[in-house]
Amino acid sequence: MITKLLEINWVLVSFVIIVIIILLMFRKYEKKKSDTKEIALIGTMAAIAGVSRIPFAVVMSVQPTTFIVMITGYVFGSQTGFIVGALSALVSNFFLGQGPWTPWQMLCWGMCGLAAGKLGKNKKELNIILFAGISAFAGYFFGWTMNIWHWLGFVYPLTLKTFLATYAASFPFDTLHAVGNIAFSIIFGKSFFLILLRFKKRLVKSS
Amino acid sequence: MKYLYSEKNNFIYKLNTSTVVFFIFTLFLLSLIFTHPIYLGTLFIITTLMIITSGNWLEWKGYLRLSIPIVIMIILVNSIFVKTGSNVIYQGPTLPFIGRLRITLEALAYGGAMGLRLIIIISLFCLYTYTVQPDKFMKLFSRFSSKIIFIVILSIRLFPLLIEDYKRIIEVQKTRGVKINKGKWIDKIKNALPIISVLLLSSLERSFEQAESMYARGYGSGKRSIYQKDIKRRRDYIITISTIIGLASGLCIFTAGQGSYSYYPKLSNPSLLDYRLYSILVITMILPAILNWGWKKWPILKSKI
Repeated sequence: MITKLLEINWVLVSFVIIVIIILLMFRKYEKKKSDTKEIALIGTMAAIAGVSRIPFAVVMSVQPTTFIVMITGYVFGSQTGFIVGALSALVSNFFLGQGPWTPWQMLCWGMCGLAAGKLGKNKKELNIILFAGISAFAGYFFGWTMNIWHWLGFVYPLTLKTFLATYAASFPFDTLHAVGNIAFSIIFGKSFFLILLRFKKRLVKSS
Repeated sequence: MKYLYSEKNNFIYKLNTSTVVFFIFTLFLLSLIFTHPIYLGTLFIITTLMIITSGNWLEWKGYLRLSIPIVIMIILVNSIFVKTGSNVIYQGPTLPFIGRLRITLEALAYGGAMGLRLIIIISLFCLYTYTVQPDKFMKLFSRFSSKIIFIVILSIRLFPLLIEDYKRIIEVQKTRGVKINKGKWIDKIKNALPIISVLLLSSLERSFEQAESMYARGYGSGKRSIYQKDIKRRRDYIITISTIIGLASGLCIFTAGQGSYSYYPKLSNPSLLDYRLYSILVITMILPAILNWGWKKWPILKSKI
């Protein structure tokens, strides 16, 4: 009976857990003291990351958003990375259509930003090869996490067989996402890093 | 670049945002806890009624077109992979990976019910997208988290601005003689790089200017003032209370175990056990549609609520 109940409500349970995680992260940021420049900067980066989704909306899996979120996290730290990632998903979905997938995307991109922030801690320079490698992994991670939602939401029954089938089906798309991330990192990585670093210095100096 | 939302002249759009959000959330919750085909069917009819009432029939059709292939896939996958169930409809050859093909009525019915649930959820998000104004929706939460909400509203505002900027920078580059769409793909990327860099640079520059302007106006120096307040009218109280009653009756049905239905191993008789709770649920949830009808018919009702 209990297992049956859980099976029925997995979509709801996962939805609630993810929303709570996101809200806790937001709350942590809310408590922190931050100046207006940082707020405006986060808003701008979230908008840029969100806008970059729109021309690529047709090619589902190639998403510059992941790269932009990650480079922001790399320069400005984990917390900023998470907020930019989560909000870019939320904001862009106001234009592309909200759905039960929104919290999942918020979490995925938030985690990408958070991981990049951990990678970039105490680093003065951008190691393109390392960054591209991590961003490629992030592409796969994004797909794998979104697969859980696909599997819970669209695939019945929830068995190991269908789970593996879902992952196998998404593999080409995840690979495209990863390759796209590597390409964006190599092409835009250096210039984005320098620009963001310059604004970070200004941010630190002014506050 | 604009919102998918656009204001229409009917009762649903004249409700307070919190009322509509609560109503849609209730339907969402109920659709997740019920598995009984009659209740799912009822929720589907209620959702359809709400979409038609709010005048979003045309928009909804696009959503349906997208979800039907997914529903068919759910039914197919379910009927192929699940072999429990006693009413065998079709027994076929042995296939690799799946094993012997054995389609049962139970698996088909379960797939159908889950497909229906998916359609309800997608329709509810369609209803949300077209009837809830994003700014007002964000404002509902500003009490709990003012910084995050501010950032969200700021970046929503930046969306159309960024696209304008992008076009402007392209025009500038063209005037300077850069051929944007000519040459090999490597040339295209080389030409795109400065455009994107300038876009990033100028928007970050603007964000700092905006921050200074906010600072000068005293952002964060005290309690936030309210520029616009959404009032709640009598109609909001009516709908909110009726939705609470509907939610309560739905939860009663769920805790009594009547909302669930056993598909396996054999389809049980899909009968309603409690007609009173069921009718309370239906009446409370279609109240907005009824009031919209009355609203158009009798001006006196419109003036009273």
